[in-house]
Amino acid sequence: MIDLDEFRAKARDWLSTMAGEFGREARRGLSPEQDLALGRRYMAAKYEAGFGGINMPVEFGGRGLSGLHKIVFETEEMEIGFPTVYFGISLGMPIPIIMKFCEDKAWVRERVIAALRGEEIWCQLFSEPAAGSDLAGLRMKAEQDGNGWKLNGQKLWTSHAHLADYGIIVARSDPNVPKHKGLTYFWVDMHAQGVEAKPFELLDHEVVCNEVFFDDVKLTDGQRIGPVGGGFGVALATLMIERYVAGDADGFGPTIPFFVDFARDVELNGRPAIEDGRIRSAIARNYALRNGLRSIRDRAFLMMEAGMEPGPEGSLSKLASVRSRQKLSELAIDLRGAAGLAYDPDAGSKEDWVSSWLSVPTGRIAGGADEMLLNTIAERILGLPQDHRPDKGVPFNQIPA
Amino acid sequence: MTILYDEAQEAIAVESRRVLDDKYDLQRLLDLVDVTGSFDEELWQSAVEQGWTALAVPEQYGGLGLGLVELGLIAQNLGALTVGVPFLSGNDAFVQLLLAGSDEAAREAWLPRIAAGEAIGVAALGEGTSPFPAAPAATVVDGKLSGSKAAVAGALKADAAVVWASANGKPALVLVELDDTMRRAVDSFDNSRLYGELVFDGAAATVLLEGEAARKAALKALARLAVVTACEQTGGGEQAMKIARDYALERKAFGQPIAAFQSIKHRIAEIYGLVELARANCIDAAARESEADFVLKACAARLSASEAYDTAARDAVQIHGGIGVTWQLGLHLHMRRARSLSAELGSPLFWEDLLVSELEGATA
Repeated sequence: MIDLDEFRAKARDWLSTMAGEFGREARRGLSPEQDLALGRRYMAAKYEAGFGGINMPVEFGGRGLSGLHKIVFETEEMEIGFPTVYFGISLGMPIPIIMKFCEDKAWVRERVIAALRGEEIWCQLFSEPAAGSDLAGLRMKAEQDGNGWKLNGQKLWTSHAHLADYGIIVARSDPNVPKHKGLTYFWVDMHAQGVEAKPFELLDHEVVCNEVFFDDVKLTDGQRIGPVGGGFGVALATLMIERYVAGDADGFGPTIPFFVDFARDVELNGRPAIEDGRIRSAIARNYALRNGLRSIRDRAFLMMEAGMEPGPEGSLSKLASVRSRQKLSELAIDLRGAAGLAYDPDAGSKEDWVSSWLSVPTGRIAGGADEMLLNTIAERILGLPQDHRPDKGVPFNQIPA
Repeated sequence: MTILYDEAQEAIAVESRRVLDDKYDLQRLLDLVDVTGSFDEELWQSAVEQGWTALAVPEQYGGLGLGLVELGLIAQNLGALTVGVPFLSGNDAFVQLLLAGSDEAAREAWLPRIAAGEAIGVAALGEGTSPFPAAPAATVVDGKLSGSKAAVAGALKADAAVVWASANGKPALVLVELDDTMRRAVDSFDNSRLYGELVFDGAAATVLLEGEAARKAALKALARLAVVTACEQTGGGEQAMKIARDYALERKAFGQPIAAFQSIKHRIAEIYGLVELARANCIDAAARESEADFVLKACAARLSASEAYDTAARDAVQIHGGIGVTWQLGLHLHMRRARSLSAELGSPLFWEDLLVSELEGATA
């Protein structure tokens, strides 16, 4: 396997040749449609250059390298601000799930390559209006229909559903058993009759999330992933993948060196802010936290490569990094004084403090709210008791609404 | 260097913990708290027998030639049990500074004795409130050292010190035997750390390093000391967290274990996060000793470990309620040790500044 330093050098070389055509500057002022089209072209170029599916198996069209290679590439890639946001979830969870669970390997390979090239996008249809943290309380109905299935209900918060060609979905196939036991997992064609995705705006006007309505949507039994009634297990496997995919020590916001540069430029009491003890304290604390997260992540990948199960401390990543980003973004706005009130809606959340601050609450909720992550750590890792759950063991259709 | 432990390292971790668990005696630790100048002599003998004093001394001087990772694993276990022997980290800093200099005679005189547990060394860098003053006031003139150095752990029993001093108008590292040195004992809230100020009045001193070379060596030794101490703090923090967890599972109120209340379980989960971040930073730093960013990584380890241990000790007492503040339960040993370890090597205020200075250097 190619050595990490050599790989980093190759990645840097290639990425620098792409920056002009696809980077942050090239994207400025593009409409959402134009940006997506640019993103698809970038993904195709990346695949052709051998940087698509870095740690995915060769048999499915990936490169068969390690998770660390992927991190190395993405760290370099993120610096340049390429339009990859549309493909993160697609390649992060649904694609690994179909590789792991679907039996028609030729079909899977086609989907993987199309997704890697940006030709197809997958979404993850989990949350619902009445089921967020309590995912197993979902109500999307899956009924047997001849040899196949029929879906009725509504999903919510589905990222990129309006752009997606396919989705993975969890639905209730049996309301007569306790909630975790009556779920079944499928893949769906987002262009099928009866599927309607309605995007809506988040508080910063970003259009990512959708309400998705299913009205008598027909599925074959071949679209089922895992056993009937075994959907929650597959959903947990999906969320386990998400735990590592969602790992960015900077919480997908600005980095510490970026803050250091900023604190050198901005003045506090007539001196560069970086000379102020309060600012130094904040930098040091956040650096230490993020360095710890990076170390945890690197160790997890090394363990996986060595065939070991990584430690449960990986579950800290999102919890700690996003809170760090939120506090640091607030501090950066404070430091700018009255100038901190300005807002540029076109600025990205990796290099603009107001954009970072406006979009950061999403990070503390999506993929497991802080409070749920703390529960998971407390219960799964530390062996502390579960919360009082009045619906425990009660058939789903007898849980008081 | 990899950040995964090998089998030998795993064995050191397990075996040292077994020895310490065997020797653990809460009453003995409680007895040490009130007596200035006291330490756990029995445990110290075991440490010597186990070869922990020889661990990081090079083989040519009678040591085992192991490194920071192994030392850190032992320190973590020492921290978990709030042991009353403060010598291993100071010894190591002393050894590192002798190795950094070029005085072979001094190495041959001291390192085998350190390895055999026959002598104890310390590094005396700080003065006043500064753990590492740019221009030390302690001064060497004609081979005689005068001035006082801030309290360091182990000072009350140490046989020799490497001292950060000024010589010929430049900073220097000098070796001093402590036989005749006055030690101003600190009556502390954690007496088994053996804190003492060293007061020199014309003590014979051998210059090991001068100028920029001395500054670099001292900073690196301080960083290494910070990593060893951070491991000790991480061990303490983890143990305090486990004590809190076990108590919260056992203690019932309002008809259920108090661990079932989110105010308690989330607090323990938060401590877990701090402890794991500290551990990860310690592992990262220990693996990067020969890299250019070692001081930066040591700062990160030191800061996160201080935060983890202080928080764990503070919250463990709170989770216990009334029983947590009794003398006999001994939970205050963690509270005391968390504070003493945080303060003794330069507080987080110092390490925050140093971390940012290192970052500024790296991004300038």
